[in-house]
Amino acid sequence: MTTTTRSNGNSNGLARFWRKNGQYILPPIVGILSFLILWQILSSTGVIKLSGPWDILSDKNSQTLIFYPFYDRGGLDKGLFWQTFASFQRVMIGYTCAAIVGISMGILVGTTPIINRALDPLFQFLRTVPPLAWVPISLAALQQNEPAALFVIFITSVWPILINTTVGVQQIPQDYQNVARVLQLSRHKYFFKILFPSALPYIFTGLRIAIGLAWLAIIAAEIVMSGIVGIGFFIWDAYNNGYVNEVIISLVYIGAVGLLLDKSMAWIQHRLVGDS
Amino acid sequence: MSHLPRSTRRHFLSLMGATATSSIFLKGCLGNPPSDSPTAPVNTVVSADQPKPETTKIKLGYIPIVESAPIIIAQEKRFFAKHGMTEVEVSKQASWGAARDNVVIGSQGGGIDGGMWQMPMPYYITEGRITTNNQKVPMYVLLQLITHGNGIAIAGKHKGKGLTTKFAGGAKALFSNLKSAGTKFKAAYTFPGANQELWIRYWLAANGIDPDSDVELLTVPAAQTVANMKTGTMDAFSTGDPWPYRIVKDGIGFMATLTAEIWKNHPEEYLAIRQDWVDSHPIATKAVIKAIMEAQQWCDDFNNRPELAKILSGKNYFNVPENVLMEPFMGKYDMGDGRVIEDKSIAAYYWKDERGSVSYPYRSHDLWFLVECVRWGILPKSEMANFNALIAKVNREDLWRESAKELGIPDSDIPTSTSRGVEKFFDGKEFNPENPQAYLDSLAIKRV
Repeated sequence: MTTTTRSNGNSNGLARFWRKNGQYILPPIVGILSFLILWQILSSTGVIKLSGPWDILSDKNSQTLIFYPFYDRGGLDKGLFWQTFASFQRVMIGYTCAAIVGISMGILVGTTPIINRALDPLFQFLRTVPPLAWVPISLAALQQNEPAALFVIFITSVWPILINTTVGVQQIPQDYQNVARVLQLSRHKYFFKILFPSALPYIFTGLRIAIGLAWLAIIAAEIVMSGIVGIGFFIWDAYNNGYVNEVIISLVYIGAVGLLLDKSMAWIQHRLVGDS
Repeated sequence: MSHLPRSTRRHFLSLMGATATSSIFLKGCLGNPPSDSPTAPVNTVVSADQPKPETTKIKLGYIPIVESAPIIIAQEKRFFAKHGMTEVEVSKQASWGAARDNVVIGSQGGGIDGGMWQMPMPYYITEGRITTNNQKVPMYVLLQLITHGNGIAIAGKHKGKGLTTKFAGGAKALFSNLKSAGTKFKAAYTFPGANQELWIRYWLAANGIDPDSDVELLTVPAAQTVANMKTGTMDAFSTGDPWPYRIVKDGIGFMATLTAEIWKNHPEEYLAIRQDWVDSHPIATKAVIKAIMEAQQWCDDFNNRPELAKILSGKNYFNVPENVLMEPFMGKYDMGDGRVIEDKSIAAYYWKDERGSVSYPYRSHDLWFLVECVRWGILPKSEMANFNALIAKVNREDLWRESAKELGIPDSDIPTSTSRGVEKFFDGKEFNPENPQAYLDSLAIKRV
């Protein structure tokens, strides 16, 4: 946990840093590189009919997108940073709602078996509905463009949070329950000292799965809104024009943001729950 | 400097170097990519003698195909602003379905007030035929945006089998062979029950192919259709520019026919806006119509077409290479099967064509679209008696006339009748708006 990054400034420190962290840095780099090389070989030999990473990099249109992420010519003609950023805001709103609703519903369902029995089939049924299918439903229900889009993100990402929280609450060890009973803990104390801490790892698993799903819904959500800045609409537009290269570059952005979000979630989990 | 320790100086120098490089890097990355000069807007002087519109705002949806050009040009060339509509929003729609859903919501719900439509979509939406819960959202048809600009693309594997405007050789056998092999000829368009479905149905039926039993017709997004044509799982695509050019140039297929060959100077797509918006903003509506009329005249000047192609091809609009639009705009179609048509009269026209006004929304054309839907069982026969009353309600050619007069359009460019008279098709059939039943009777393949 102690972070000793005092700037030694000599090569000895760098070597020590490498010895310590090299095993975490090298494998992913090798993994990604071999993936790219394999992809390039497959596409240049014509096994897959898709431009390889090198072809994408040398394409003029893609270069603009790669090297000018911050460009802004007004309207929809914006760099990928702005596109991703606009979508990120939508994802965060939908996801936050999903986290609040998912955790509180999960606790309610997990602690009351009768509600669990009543709602579980419904949850299992609804969670399989693909994001695109929610589009017409949410539009018809809400009659508002943006709330409908946010609802699509919300409804896609709420299920893993809800279900994991429920399981987490149900999995509280019997010993803890007994202790709570022996000590005659108040409901308030039981909640904060027993229930919440022991369900937390499950909740975080749900939250981390959900962040991936929230991004999954972004294309569906932004098709609803149409004609807006956002990586989802950008991908849809590129798809409609048959620009596979642009789709691939956007995927890198979504993937990178997804990775960052997951890592930060893992970091929060680590701070809150500790190594368990 | 000499009092500085050596290491600090080196540190300082490297820091300076790093700053310089990163600032160059940032300047490159943070700014816009180098590009040639943007196009200049035309005059923006607001005429003082015009009445002030009730609002300066409207949100119009479009699909990135050449039909949308007048709306985009009215915005880019500031014709909207010239007529007092300074806050027009021109919004790219994800698909026809998205455009429909957005007009049902309206701009107060984040949707659109109107925009470009295939026919008879405004009628379907008015009647609640294609909306969720059959919700009726009355619309007004205000102006025709374009003629021509569409065609039927066929997958490359069917090249040289006689699939042309009028079938040659063994083209008919191709359909029956595919049918008996259990792989019916598959054709797609981007929205059911409107222009592009009606064009391919007309063409097939005129050549003796029953579009319902001999062919499988599907609604598929354009890019997917083209991808499927490439892999051989889709046989045809009824579509508009810029797709035909792209399909031919990418070697995916060829153009069997152009709509300009099926029905020369035919009605194509329209401007339609929600009734409640028009009724509460009559002056603003006319301002929108006038701006689009001016844009249509601008688009029809062939000297402007290179610039038109340039504006439309931009990332904000179609996001395609410029040359994709240029040839069709000049009336040049490489059909991909050896046929190259160079005929300015088959290019897309926005304001005037050989038959007179393109922009004016003839009621007789609305009637043809509705009757054609009856022909294919899309609309029930029983409704035919009500068509004229329905058209009188939805088609607001009176607003077009008023706008044209206010704009100072010469009388010779304003049609005197709401009917363009008898229409002739490539197979010799005729549609007389006075007697639609006779047209239906004259057709061999139909569902009535």
